[in-house]
Amino acid sequence: MADSGSGPLVVVAMRWVDTHARVDALTGRVSTDARGAGPSEADRCALEHGLRIAQAAAGRCVAVSLAPEPATDMLRDALACGAHAVLRVDPGHAAGAGNTDDRADSGAATAQALAQAVRDELGHPDLVLTGDHSADRGTGATPAFLAAELGCAQALGLVELSYTDGHLVGLRRLDRGRRERLAIPLPAVCSVEPAGVRLRRANLRATLAARTATIPVVPSDPAALAAQPVAVRSVRPYRPRAKELPPPQGSDPRQRLLRLTGAHEEREPPRVVVTDDAGRAADELLDYLRGKGFLA
Amino acid sequence: MMRDRAGPSGAAVTVEPPATTDFDAIVVGAGPAGSAAALELARAGHSVALLERGPFPGSKNVYGGVVYGRVLDELIPDWFERAPVQRWITRRQTMLLSDERSLTVDFRSQNWGSAPYNGATTYRAEFDSWLADHAQQAGAVLVPSTVVTSLLRTSGGRVVGVRTDREQGDLTARVVIACDGVNSFLAKQAGLYPGEHAEHTTLGVKETLALPKETIDERFGVSGSDGVDIEILGGTGGVPGGGFVYTNHDTLSVGLVLGLPGLAKAGLRPEEILAELKRHPSIRPLVRGAELVEYSAHLIPEGGYRTMPRLVGDGLLVAGDAAAMCLAAGIWLEGVNFALGSGMYAGRAAARALAADDPKRLREYRTLLADSFVLADHRKLRNAPALVLSDRVQQRYPGLVCDLVEGMFTVENPAPKPGLRRLLRRSAKRNGVGLHQLARDALTGLRSFG
Ligand SMILES: Cc1cc2nc3c(=O)[nH]c(=O)nc-3n(C[C@H](O)[C@H](O)[C@H](O)COP(=O)(O)OP(=O)(O)OC[C@H]3O[C@@H](n4cnc5c(N)ncnc54)[C@H](O)[C@@H]3O)c2cc1C
Repeated sequence: MADSGSGPLVVVAMRWVDTHARVDALTGRVSTDARGAGPSEADRCALEHGLRIAQAAAGRCVAVSLAPEPATDMLRDALACGAHAVLRVDPGHAAGAGNTDDRADSGAATAQALAQAVRDELGHPDLVLTGDHSADRGTGATPAFLAAELGCAQALGLVELSYTDGHLVGLRRLDRGRRERLAIPLPAVCSVEPAGVRLRRANLRATLAARTATIPVVPSDPAALAAQPVAVRSVRPYRPRAKELPPPQGSDPRQRLLRLTGAHEEREPPRVVVTDDAGRAADELLDYLRGKGFLA
Repeated sequence: MMRDRAGPSGAAVTVEPPATTDFDAIVVGAGPAGSAAALELARAGHSVALLERGPFPGSKNVYGGVVYGRVLDELIPDWFERAPVQRWITRRQTMLLSDERSLTVDFRSQNWGSAPYNGATTYRAEFDSWLADHAQQAGAVLVPSTVVTSLLRTSGGRVVGVRTDREQGDLTARVVIACDGVNSFLAKQAGLYPGEHAEHTTLGVKETLALPKETIDERFGVSGSDGVDIEILGGTGGVPGGGFVYTNHDTLSVGLVLGLPGLAKAGLRPEEILAELKRHPSIRPLVRGAELVEYSAHLIPEGGYRTMPRLVGDGLLVAGDAAAMCLAAGIWLEGVNFALGSGMYAGRAAARALAADDPKRLREYRTLLADSFVLADHRKLRNAPALVLSDRVQQRYPGLVCDLVEGMFTVENPAPKPGLRRLLRRSAKRNGVGLHQLARDALTGLRSFG
């Protein structure tokens, strides 16, 4: 139970991302814009779950983010939606660098910094909720690292989460359309898919109050962010490896060139299957694959 | 139960006069007009809410265009040191396009490339956010992602607030300033617009095309942060309107402004006309190889002075595009500076009325506007929109001018060179223009622009 002694402490860890980031097709460089940034859809679902669970358990829901200053608006929105408190953990580097910073890519460092700040500022949480993986280069590893940091049970990638009679129950999607129902012991870290619930819309009064609320900020633990397992040191255009081909036989340069280009070789021209009948199109494709030996 | 996302409703909501109000003023729309109004009010010490339907100011705006700075001198004196500028306009071209030909008047001035600067290209998402930040820093409360759906009015017709699409979404104030852009339903709800005005509205379509900065510099003959603004007459597939090409840092804004009735009549799609414009021999070399990063469209009120609504209602002021204050007169397409100016004066008049606790003083808005460039320019150019969008200027004059210039520059010796008068008569005839009509239009043009 949380230090407050009342209901459970539910922490929702929200990652601030630019969901409209642009990627340079040549260099792979990602450029982001703080103005269009906010939580991903999965993080929004996590917040909605957090609000519902805190209400059902008469607990507190606190939204936390390891993010630079422009993320304040995301936390204001969380307050307006009904979070009891918010906390911004400042990564402590140039403003606006936010998501393009290598350190934010490290799930381990993020989890360490978040866990440290949550423990110091809020006490030990009963439940930590996150989105399943961040919308920008996310591997989905942060929730697992968080569970390790906090010494909690973990239930990841949930499509449903409910809290009734003091029990937390989740539903997880498995391969081949199967589902797994989990009874989740507390304390736990749960990550949710963007499914099942939708973040409520804040009313105008709460929105106005949140616009002028003071958003607490704590610096992140420098030791946490010093752990950088992944670092992008330079970006270069992608160059596929050259495909090695055997040299053409013969001594006549023209013939060698022709052979190299494959210009006079027998080959099946590409074919476009155009038919109104989807069944026939499928048959044709299957025949083709069988003919090529891809299907037994 | 409230709808999750509501659009504007048809009629104002009648309410009891509130005993106290939530804010001194509510400004609807965080475009240039709204932020300028909110900034003035907040600076004067009044509480002001700035409501914006987009997730952030500028997110709903289509524009990578030119903003002219002089009005900003008054609003934010050192604006040019801090505003998010793409390029400073040092080269201004007016281009007449006809079939495969073009005539360009090309002016450049390095004076415009240093303080206090003349015009700059900016991205609206950046510019509007920057301006709204100033309003917020002065004390205005910005409420984004919130659509105003109707006015709140007393049974006596006084505007006392707005209803939004959020739950518990009514907000009251002593003054409301409608800066909700073209097609302002707030001004319409208040009965300030006399009638429909689709015929005075154009559709602006714009593509943002990415090119390396060096390529833009080379193609447009500029360097550093210098930029080019090309305004185009013709090239609209016969639809009344015009076009433009603006240089940003590493993108171009290429677009068209198309009269709605003409577009409907032509049965053409705007993106097809834009594709055609980009294929024109004078435009193609400028945009070749560019990558399309955005396509967007927005309406523009182009009727000017003659189509403006009443600017002051009981408890309500209207500014910017909401009051049809975009100046579109062929060689000029200026909406932002008129929005900034009118917003600033609306904020100023509202602040004075609030300070004096005298709603009647809202009328000073009209006087402030009349004494400034906002109404002076619009009044002076009141005949320009009709002339510029007329069939002759649109369809015949670009051809006539290109014919004339082609005649002047085509060398046909041993035949002797034709005189200018003969060439003019020939070009006018070819393009179906009567010389009397030409003289009349020249006079109207002179009166408007002279
Ligand atoms: C393609 C194109 C090119 C242009 N090029 C130029 C140029 O080069 N130079 C120039 O000076 N002008 C140009 N203009 C014109 C210029 O964009 C407008 O004149 C100017 O934006 C008007 O400013 P405004 O503040 O009055 O309205 P807007 O900029 O339209 O702002 C209105 C704001 O109100 C918000 N809003 C609307 N309804 C509601 C509601 N119900 N509730 C809450 N918020 C609401 C909108 O989201 C928006 O942010 C161009 C326009 C277009 C379309």
